[in-house]
Amino acid sequence: MTQFLIRRIFWAIFLFLVATIITYLIFWVIPADPAALAAGKSATPADVARVRHYLHLDEPIWRQYLRFLWNLVGHQQLGNSFVTRQSVNHIIGQDAPVTASLVFGGAIFWLSLSIPVGILSALRPRSILDRVSMSFVLVGISAHPVWIGLILSYLVGYRLHITPIVGYCNFFPGGIGVQCSGPVQWAYHLLLPWITFMILFAALYVRLVRANVMETMSEDYVRTARAKGASESRVMIQHVLRNSLLPVVTILGMDLGLALGGAIFTESIFNLPGLGHEVINAYNTADLPTITGIVVFATVCVIVFNFIVDVTYGFLDPRIRPS
Amino acid sequence: MAALEVTDLATRFRTDDGIVRAVAGVSFSLDKGRTLGVVGESGSGKSVTFLSVMGLLDPRQSEVTGSVLLDGEQMLAASKSRLQQIRGSKIGMIFQDPMTSLNPVKSIGWQLEEAALIHQDITRKEARRRAIEILKQVEIPRADQRVDDYPHQFSGGMRQRVMIAMALINNPEILIADEPTTALDVTTQAQILRLMKRLQDEYGMAIVMITHDLGVVAELADDVAVMYGGRIVEQAQVDDLFAKPEMPYTWGLLGSLPRLNSSGGRLEQIPGQPPSLLHPPSGCPFNPRCEFVMDICRQKLPPLDQSTVGVEHRFRCHLDDEARARIWEQKRAALVSADAA
Amino acid sequence: MRRKQYLSLFMLVLGVALLVAATTVGAATSATQKASKSGIKKGGTLKLNENAEDFDFVDPQLAYRTDDWSMLYTTAMQLVSFPEKTGAAGSQLYPQAATSFPTVSKDGKTYTFHIRPGLRFSDGSPVTAAAFQRSWERILSPKMGSPLGVNLDLQDTIVGGTAFLAGKAAHISGIKAKGLTLSFRLTKPNATFVSILSMQWFTAVKPNTPYDDKGINVYPAAGPYYIKARNPGHSTVLARNPFYKGNRPANPDQIVFTPNVDIDQSLLQVKAGQSDLDIGGVPATAAADLAKTYGVNKGRFFVGATSCVNYMAMNNARPPFNNVNLRKAVNWAIDRPAQVRLLGAFAGKRTDQMLVPGIPGYRAFTAYAIKGADVAKAKQVGGSAIASAPTLNVIHTPTATSTNRAQIAEFNLKQVGFKINDVPTPATNYYQVIQTRGTSYNFVTNGGWCADYFDPFDYLNVLFDGSKLQAANNNNYAYFNNASFNAQLAHAASLSGAARAKAYQKLDQELMVKYAPVVPYLISTNRYFTASRVKNWIYSSYFGSPYFNALAVG
Repeated sequence: MTQFLIRRIFWAIFLFLVATIITYLIFWVIPADPAALAAGKSATPADVARVRHYLHLDEPIWRQYLRFLWNLVGHQQLGNSFVTRQSVNHIIGQDAPVTASLVFGGAIFWLSLSIPVGILSALRPRSILDRVSMSFVLVGISAHPVWIGLILSYLVGYRLHITPIVGYCNFFPGGIGVQCSGPVQWAYHLLLPWITFMILFAALYVRLVRANVMETMSEDYVRTARAKGASESRVMIQHVLRNSLLPVVTILGMDLGLALGGAIFTESIFNLPGLGHEVINAYNTADLPTITGIVVFATVCVIVFNFIVDVTYGFLDPRIRPS
Repeated sequence: MAALEVTDLATRFRTDDGIVRAVAGVSFSLDKGRTLGVVGESGSGKSVTFLSVMGLLDPRQSEVTGSVLLDGEQMLAASKSRLQQIRGSKIGMIFQDPMTSLNPVKSIGWQLEEAALIHQDITRKEARRRAIEILKQVEIPRADQRVDDYPHQFSGGMRQRVMIAMALINNPEILIADEPTTALDVTTQAQILRLMKRLQDEYGMAIVMITHDLGVVAELADDVAVMYGGRIVEQAQVDDLFAKPEMPYTWGLLGSLPRLNSSGGRLEQIPGQPPSLLHPPSGCPFNPRCEFVMDICRQKLPPLDQSTVGVEHRFRCHLDDEARARIWEQKRAALVSADAA
Repeated sequence: MRRKQYLSLFMLVLGVALLVAATTVGAATSATQKASKSGIKKGGTLKLNENAEDFDFVDPQLAYRTDDWSMLYTTAMQLVSFPEKTGAAGSQLYPQAATSFPTVSKDGKTYTFHIRPGLRFSDGSPVTAAAFQRSWERILSPKMGSPLGVNLDLQDTIVGGTAFLAGKAAHISGIKAKGLTLSFRLTKPNATFVSILSMQWFTAVKPNTPYDDKGINVYPAAGPYYIKARNPGHSTVLARNPFYKGNRPANPDQIVFTPNVDIDQSLLQVKAGQSDLDIGGVPATAAADLAKTYGVNKGRFFVGATSCVNYMAMNNARPPFNNVNLRKAVNWAIDRPAQVRLLGAFAGKRTDQMLVPGIPGYRAFTAYAIKGADVAKAKQVGGSAIASAPTLNVIHTPTATSTNRAQIAEFNLKQVGFKINDVPTPATNYYQVIQTRGTSYNFVTNGGWCADYFDPFDYLNVLFDGSKLQAANNNNYAYFNNASFNAQLAHAASLSGAARAKAYQKLDQELMVKYAPVVPYLISTNRYFTASRVKNWIYSSYFGSPYFNALAVG
């Protein structure tokens, strides 16, 4: 177990360094000059130079990177935005709960939809349900979330007045400058974003679950269970499901990291002030500290998700349980 | 009375390419406490026959006709729940590959207890006690500790012991063993066979030993049925079959049997491929591969004839008595001289 | 006149910032709704979307973008300011916190203000002269790192500014605050000083407001509103200042800004009444339908003229556009109506000159093909030089509109025989590329200028005075540099009154007819759409937006 942890931690550090170095290098390569942007456009070259010094952009890239590492490791600080001068820690602290609400809520949605549908499809291949759900899979994989989001908010939000068109409310009541808050408003405002966000994943997972269940049903140990006299429901619940959902856990861990990226579209359409939205703005304004901060945060999230998946998997599957 | 009486059993699979006749009219009976060896190549229908008997085939893809009487009860007409009651309690079954036949995410104790709890009205504690007991019976060392282990912590032979334990935990009348030793190494094979023999003596159940290995049959079985192309082509008591096999396919099987004292001569093999079940040959199913084939073999399925040797010794072959006697004498002489060399 | 003169100094900077924000600061407009006094109720929450990014700063000494300023205006208490009035009246300064315009010493270097008694911040504390002293110190303090004051050389304007900026003095020695009396000592006479004070930077802040280079978000203000809550990137909430006793409108109880709303979704929200207005305007594609349904300036859909002229620039410093005949040929070749149609209904009016209506010296003339491309004329004017011209590097930002605009322009250029190399360039470094001297571009399709004050200097001198070209950050990104024209510009700037207008009118015409360094094609407008409950629309000629504190939703 200790060795497993040590190996994990080294891997995490390596991933982290690679991700941040790549972010820095990309910034170094693209021709944008954050100092010029921050100084304003009629700024004289001397003004730009002053701003550049203020932002430490006059240092070589490796020193900027080391400075970033030192601030992160020594002070747990991700630096300040070039544009708004806000602490990036604070920005992420404000945005992460929004993205987490979208991603985890969406994950609960897509799992609770795709697992039953996938299982029923597998149990009755070529039935009406199976054909309908496979059509859904095709549509879900093909349709872009922006299109789905716009259509949903137009129809459900604007025409039918069932949900808000856009917007976000905090889960916890109260807070700074919030117009609405509390679990009910939170869920009400997130309903369409969740649906938009989950459709692609739900489609992929229906297909995944269906394939896994079908494969597991042809396993020898399922036949063994039937030969023991186990009822069909017992066979499904005790022998098929747990085994067929094991790969789903692994893929879920990877997809949650991936989903952080996918959240960009949904956050933009529904104006959810989350990390995806933030990173787009930061990109448009060449705001390196904010972009790097979000990359660091996303990397850490992916590493943590993968770690959680590894541990969970160990509990679910005795074959790889670290002893 | 026979423990199992199977009459005209036929199994058809519906596939995208057409109807596959996997079993085409099989009849046999199995008496209490006896061992029936069922021999045949892959695709001869031997496994499908017993999956049909157990009702383990998917009814959406298969159709089973004929009659299967278990203790006089018609299995093919039994309800789903009745079948579930019978499976595991009256008939136990073990499979070829012990590596994949146990659920990898449940402890073997759990799986044994499950088998007991399905059929017996006992507490989980009692079920666990029986699980440990039966593990001891199948000679698993430190059974009381290993009961909590998972299948991947056991070797193949040990897992097959667990499978046997699981099949026997409800003390069934019949144990169907579908190539139980095929996937195991030779030493382990012998141990498993010895174990089964011992357990049969203790528990008194009838055994169906499905195998492609006549050696296993010779060691364990009382009766033998040779299957080919979804049919029984020869059946007899073991001694009678070895004394005078009546059918070219059986001769081929005997010729391909390895012998420990053989001096490295090549094993004989039966030329050609097993018949297509989708488009079976007309007449005798063995005719495309038979070195003694005659015109009639391609037109007419030979009936099950009674052999001159043995009581219930039947076979399907159009060759006349004299020809079969002559050919077998030649074959046997060749086999004996090979042994002697 | 003086006021306008000084405006040109600082607005140079502002103008560019405004271009960055792709928004406009007001020009005189007639497109405003007469506010009917009846039916205006106080109360309610005014919900405003921003389809652009959030305010970068709400700290008055760090804020600079158009949206920042139009929001801060509702919280501001300044020595002098603009009134909530429509049209030209809205750009006339009046003493706000001061009892009157300042008294100026004989040497023209000391300005003395008297602050009105009884003014209070939203926390109840009184507004004194120190509040205005603090705003100056905050914009020049090295602890703030604000680029704004330094960009305007404010440290050189005021006595003691340089020492304070260098961190050598605790206070700016040239500013004296004593009770309600405030005096500024300037290094030299400056006719523009009073107008400089109208900028949002110089609003009253509490004298104990900290130096914080991250900027403050929530702080007491002395205007009709104050920032009650702010979560950057999420929302900004203004509430009425309970201690404000002045007569500026303060109709909504609260004003809430929600940034980053998708522009199409935002329009749906306003239609559904879930939001009152998007301060970034409406999607270009929606303008025609909105006008058809709600009429123009009849209560919901508003078109406000701007002073923004959109133009394409040619690089006069490089072949082939160092050849004036080719520049003229391009002015004949470009299809102006097509470019205007691209921006949707009510996008503005096509033009082929740089000055816009409302600017002294503006007189409409037509020098080129304003009703469509004239290929034959273009070929005739350009002659054989077109065929021998090197391939043109056409640079534009990669947004959909910019790409379409470039495609139309490139089609027009190819039509007369130019060879094209299309160079899409990300917005983050687009201006850097075109504004650096020696740039390799030939033709820029994204160009524009909005007046920061109503004087032709802000257009012609700022954009075409070749003697002011520098290594980088050139507003004159046509790199037009003609000695005789430079001299005429300098002369015109020194004039006043009718002579000034006449001189600039001549220069406006001469610029295009004789030199044609750019291709002006559109004078643009702002298009707004409000929820049905919104009343009292007063369009600001200064901010290019309505006065938010005047809008009524009660």
